Amino acid sequence: MSLWFEPRLTRDWDDPSMIGLDGYVAKGGYEALSKALAMTDADIVDVVKSSGLRGRGGAGFPAGMKWGFVPRDTGKPTYVVANFDESEPGTCNNRELVERDPHRLLEGMAIAALAIGCETAYLYVRGEYLWQSMVLERAIAQAYAAGHLGPDVQGSGKRVDVVLHRGAGAYICGEETALLNSLEGFRGQPRLRPPFPAVEGLFASPTVINNVETLMNVPDILVRGAEWFRELGTEKSPGTKMVTVSGKVERPGNFEVPLGTSFRIVLEELAGGVLGGRALKAWTPGGSSTPMLTAEHLDVGLDYESLAEAGSMLGTAAIMVMDDTDCVVDCATRMVRFYAHESCGKCTPCREGSWWATRVLERLEDGQGQAPDLPIMRDLGTNLMFRAFCALADGTASVINSSLQHFPDEYEAHVRLGGCPLKVEHLEEVPA
Amino acid sequence: MPVDPITLTIDDKEVTVPKGTLIIRAAEQLGIEIPRFCDHPYLAPAGACRQCYVQVEGQGKLQTSCTVAVAPGMVVRTQNTSDAARQAQVANLEFLLLNHPLDCPICDRGGECPLQDQALAFGPGESRFIDAKRVFPKPVPLSPLVGLDRERCVLCARCTRFCDEISGDRFLELFARSAGERVSIAAGEDFRSPFSGNTIQICPVGALTATPYRFVARPFDLTSGDSVCQHCSAGCNVRVDVRRGEVVRVLARENPDVNDAWICDKGRFAYRHADAPGRITTPLIRDRGLEPASFGEILPWLAERCRSGRVAFLTGGRLMDEDYYALSKLARTVVGTNDLDHRRAFHGGLAEVVAAAAVTDRERSVTYRDVEHAPVILLVGLDAEQEVPILHLRIRKAAARGAKVFVVHPRRTRLHDVAEHLPTRPGHEVFVLDRIREGVDGESFEARAAAALRGAGGSGVVLVGERLAEHPLAADLALAVASKTGSRFGYVTRRANDRGALGAGVHPSLLPGGRRLGVAGERAEVEAVWGSIMASEDGRDAQEILQACADRLVDVLFVIGADPLRDHPDAALTRRALANVGTLVVQSIELGDLEPFASVFLPAAPAAEKDGHVTDWEGRSQRIRPVRDALGISRPDWEIFAGLAAAMGSDLGFETLEELHEEMASLLAPRAMPERPNVWAGAGPPQWLDDLTLFTYPLLVDEGRLSDGAEELKAALEDPAFAEMHPVDAEKRGLADGVDVRLTTAAGDATVPLRVTEHVAAGSVFVPFNQPGLAANSLLSGRSTASVTVAAVDEGSGPEAVPDAALATGPAA
Ligand SMILES: Cc1cc2nc3c(=O)[nH]c(=O)nc-3n(C[C@H](O)[C@H](O)[C@H](O)COP(=O)(O)O)c2cc1C
Ligand code: SF4
Ligand code: SF4
Ligand code: SF4
Ligand code: FES
Repeated sequence: MSLWFEPRLTRDWDDPSMIGLDGYVAKGGYEALSKALAMTDADIVDVVKSSGLRGRGGAGFPAGMKWGFVPRDTGKPTYVVANFDESEPGTCNNRELVERDPHRLLEGMAIAALAIGCETAYLYVRGEYLWQSMVLERAIAQAYAAGHLGPDVQGSGKRVDVVLHRGAGAYICGEETALLNSLEGFRGQPRLRPPFPAVEGLFASPTVINNVETLMNVPDILVRGAEWFRELGTEKSPGTKMVTVSGKVERPGNFEVPLGTSFRIVLEELAGGVLGGRALKAWTPGGSSTPMLTAEHLDVGLDYESLAEAGSMLGTAAIMVMDDTDCVVDCATRMVRFYAHESCGKCTPCREGSWWATRVLERLEDGQGQAPDLPIMRDLGTNLMFRAFCALADGTASVINSSLQHFPDEYEAHVRLGGCPLKVEHLEEVPA
Repeated sequence: MPVDPITLTIDDKEVTVPKGTLIIRAAEQLGIEIPRFCDHPYLAPAGACRQCYVQVEGQGKLQTSCTVAVAPGMVVRTQNTSDAARQAQVANLEFLLLNHPLDCPICDRGGECPLQDQALAFGPGESRFIDAKRVFPKPVPLSPLVGLDRERCVLCARCTRFCDEISGDRFLELFARSAGERVSIAAGEDFRSPFSGNTIQICPVGALTATPYRFVARPFDLTSGDSVCQHCSAGCNVRVDVRRGEVVRVLARENPDVNDAWICDKGRFAYRHADAPGRITTPLIRDRGLEPASFGEILPWLAERCRSGRVAFLTGGRLMDEDYYALSKLARTVVGTNDLDHRRAFHGGLAEVVAAAAVTDRERSVTYRDVEHAPVILLVGLDAEQEVPILHLRIRKAAARGAKVFVVHPRRTRLHDVAEHLPTRPGHEVFVLDRIREGVDGESFEARAAAALRGAGGSGVVLVGERLAEHPLAADLALAVASKTGSRFGYVTRRANDRGALGAGVHPSLLPGGRRLGVAGERAEVEAVWGSIMASEDGRDAQEILQACADRLVDVLFVIGADPLRDHPDAALTRRALANVGTLVVQSIELGDLEPFASVFLPAAPAAEKDGHVTDWEGRSQRIRPVRDALGISRPDWEIFAGLAAAMGSDLGFETLEELHEEMASLLAPRAMPERPNVWAGAGPPQWLDDLTLFTYPLLVDEGRLSDGAEELKAALEDPAFAEMHPVDAEKRGLADGVDVRLTTAAGDATVPLRVTEHVAAGSVFVPFNQPGLAANSLLSGRSTASVTVAAVDEGSGPEAVPDAALATGPAA
């Protein structure tokens, strides 16, 4: 279908040659890097600042501001780390961005490196992303061979090395400080902040950590300018965002949309509507860790502010769609079980609370639920939210709180009926 | 007023604390106890348990008080004044108890458990948890000393952080994640840290337990006394727990000036010695078949012999300051001899005098705090982890704060990960020190150490182990390095109260306060208090005393709280001395190895039953209190000396410990030392010796008497005897790692397994002093080093013999 805006990150997705250096260069690749080399590091930071580019990894922190925090007079090296751990359930846009256009990430990393005077940039890849690592390794080799990376970037005399590091399969290693521990060879558990990574990050040195998508926006910003970047999106959430749509839709997949685009447009125009034309029941706007919303929220704009107002978050913009045959308690069980499994174990509420919540939810699903289980679930939501060391447990709490908030009857029905009220009906209607 | 004071209110009370103070610490100052599990004042904040939530005005979320530093004007509400904080704490406790086994009735921690206390104070009365708890096999031994019950563990990471941040040996780690997370140790590894017991003490629940204490007592069964550890010169403050008269546990007592909150495993687990089967509680007389006698009988008998014969005194480093003082005075003013010594065979020169005088000159003294804050530390001739373990931890703490640490030692020490080591053949330290003193240029170890010390602005620290004093000039040279670079200087003796003995003048040429017998003015200062000192010539040192005994030049030898058969670095001479001396008086707490030689035994009370002071390596004199009554008619050593003086018709001048201490204090007050150190004429280049130098020192856990009965400790940490040799030397001799070798010195020979390792200096062979299988003093002739030859025991089974021609090519490198 034809889009109502000019795509940015996905504009060359139809061109398979983009996976290689030649294809990328033919489309103007690495020109942004040349431009950056001609600029002062402060100017690079300024352009990114004025573009209003916000972090795409979940928290939406302004990228330029983050780069600007890096102290340059500590006598220590500085580091750039690209966060390609992408493990939030429902999220796979970083993956496709890299698979189709790996050099854009490397170019973004190199520019970030120039902006903060970094000579070694690390690329932390989710352990399960074997193919994507291979794509990146190949791209890195090409970029070195062509002189876009290495000791003398494009003949400038500046050094930028890119080191790829594969994780070992832990959701928590996407959390930036756990990632740093993992990168240093330690246990993937988050670190205390402050000190923030910008001041004391990798190897106790100033470090910028950005999501893959964040970094991939950078080359265009340098070439086309901050004003151009702001042409799409909203005032506070400029630019486009990759959304991953999965679940009960006709056409699941990754789509690029200007920030602020309503969920309705994404669902109906891009993803082809709810599967089989059924009724929308619930959806997560930004992965399972963001509070789920309902059909009432169809017209909410997908941007940081609108979603916050609706009581949720943009997160990773991973939209999971549930229809009226889906049991919310079942979904919550699966999600909470995931967070329980991925809890790094460091802090009590997350480690014990998510484990307990899983027990209770499984019991409800199994038809063993008891009346006291509902107050326990409510307490668990309260006692997990903002009580843990890192935001992982807030995700767990969000699942519990939002599902309880929007679908209290469904929880009660599980207790009352001794099992899932949807199961029987659902089974009957699934086509053979 | 602290630097950068910050004023805030906690529960409506105002408090002012230094900048950077954590809320939880600030609250403590107001007497407000915020519940905590993972927080520990000596560990970096973790924020793991989430028990310590408080409300900070203006902050939307609750804050963990153990991770957040105070800010000016901050308004903090703890569980006492904030419902939200209290609710969060109660909820967290519920989480912690979900999987907790609640086996308090059989838990060693029961009755003194923070989790139990908090659950009792404000936990939910009943559990809402109805599922199956997580179970683990329990307990699993981490070592023969430490058991781990993972069901009880609250995963606070205190133990793992201790291993990481404090001892640096990283044995314990968290494994796995989510609800399956647990503390563990690498497969096949043992928790072989000499500091392992600290993890037990700081574990906030009964997850880590001490095997020797397992099921032994309940806190309400115990009576406790504050004491100071007797195992080395670190001076660690301890609490001794006694159950029905038997010592059952030793715990660290916090003292930030000395041991912080730590002790080593020897101090913690070697406590059965005073109750060992050989304990003597009355005098015993050989002529009566070692039958019990009274002091009333034995002292006049002894007095008679002392009056008519030539007398000498040998002691060790483990009596109280007061005992040493009484002994020094007894020998000098009643018996009339200067033949007394507490050392083995070291001659510390001026460095020793400086230590004995407890100089007022702060440049020439070092405290733990000085070490902690030093930007540069030079350590010579000391394996701190094995010899003075808590000093080792303090050096690590300094290193963690950024101190540069330089170690000159023939064997790699456990500071290797935080220090630069210069492996130096024993005896060659003087050459290194000389180059540091000269301040040679370049990039060498010596040049960097010298430059660092000079650049430390007077806060550098030079620490010298007493072993260095084997070389007649080495310790003084180190003192000269300190003087020249403006560094503080510490002479580190090893045994618990060597320093007290030195200060009191249990020494052939030093009187109390480091006053020299041979210097008239200094001697007169002592005589002003004591009256006349009967013999004016310097006496015999330990080696000479034993030689004189062997030569039948001594009629009465007192061996007091020492076992020269094990400790003196010349076993053969000691044996002859003991056999040849007329009367051997053994003043001890036990029969021990001297039993076959002793004419009489005088029953001394062990430290646990005594009152008095001990002086640690810093020169800090600390009071210890008895934790139980003396057994039988055993009594403190000083009382025995006073009794003997009385029996000889004299009077030491004090009847109570207080009187003694008062008199002693006047002579032991720190003194100004007029002289600067000797000028050293230059050592010249080191000579490469063709033969190998054997060197030895005691490892922390060995066959030493005070570890008798500490079976679990030995099982955990004691190695059987071995020898270590550098690969270059091993290769030349065709010796492979693991083969049995015969060590031959002028004094004797021994067979031990060989370890080939780069961690000893080339040209040297290390054997531990007193491990099972070898008493190294059988290889020594009065020094801790000796020339040695090493050969494979069984030529057939060893590697192929190397032709002599290969040997003749000299050092490989
Ligand atoms: C539990 C947890 C998991 C996270 N996983 C990821 C991830 O997989 N990828 C990512 O980019 N950011 C992840 N984040 C966010 C990062 O901590 C960090 O904010 C981000 O990488 C910063 O990059 P940005 O500013 O470009 O978004 C995670 C955060 C949390 C709390
Ligand atoms: S909330 Fe706590 S246990 Fe959970 S992942 Fe974060 S640090 Fe680990
Ligand atoms: S064993 Fe004890 S100290 Fe170690 S983590 Fe568990 S509860 Fe904490
Ligand atoms: S370091 Fe020394 S004083 Fe301290 S506990 Fe160990 S042996 Fe005792
Ligand atoms: S004591 Fe503060 S989080 Fe554990």
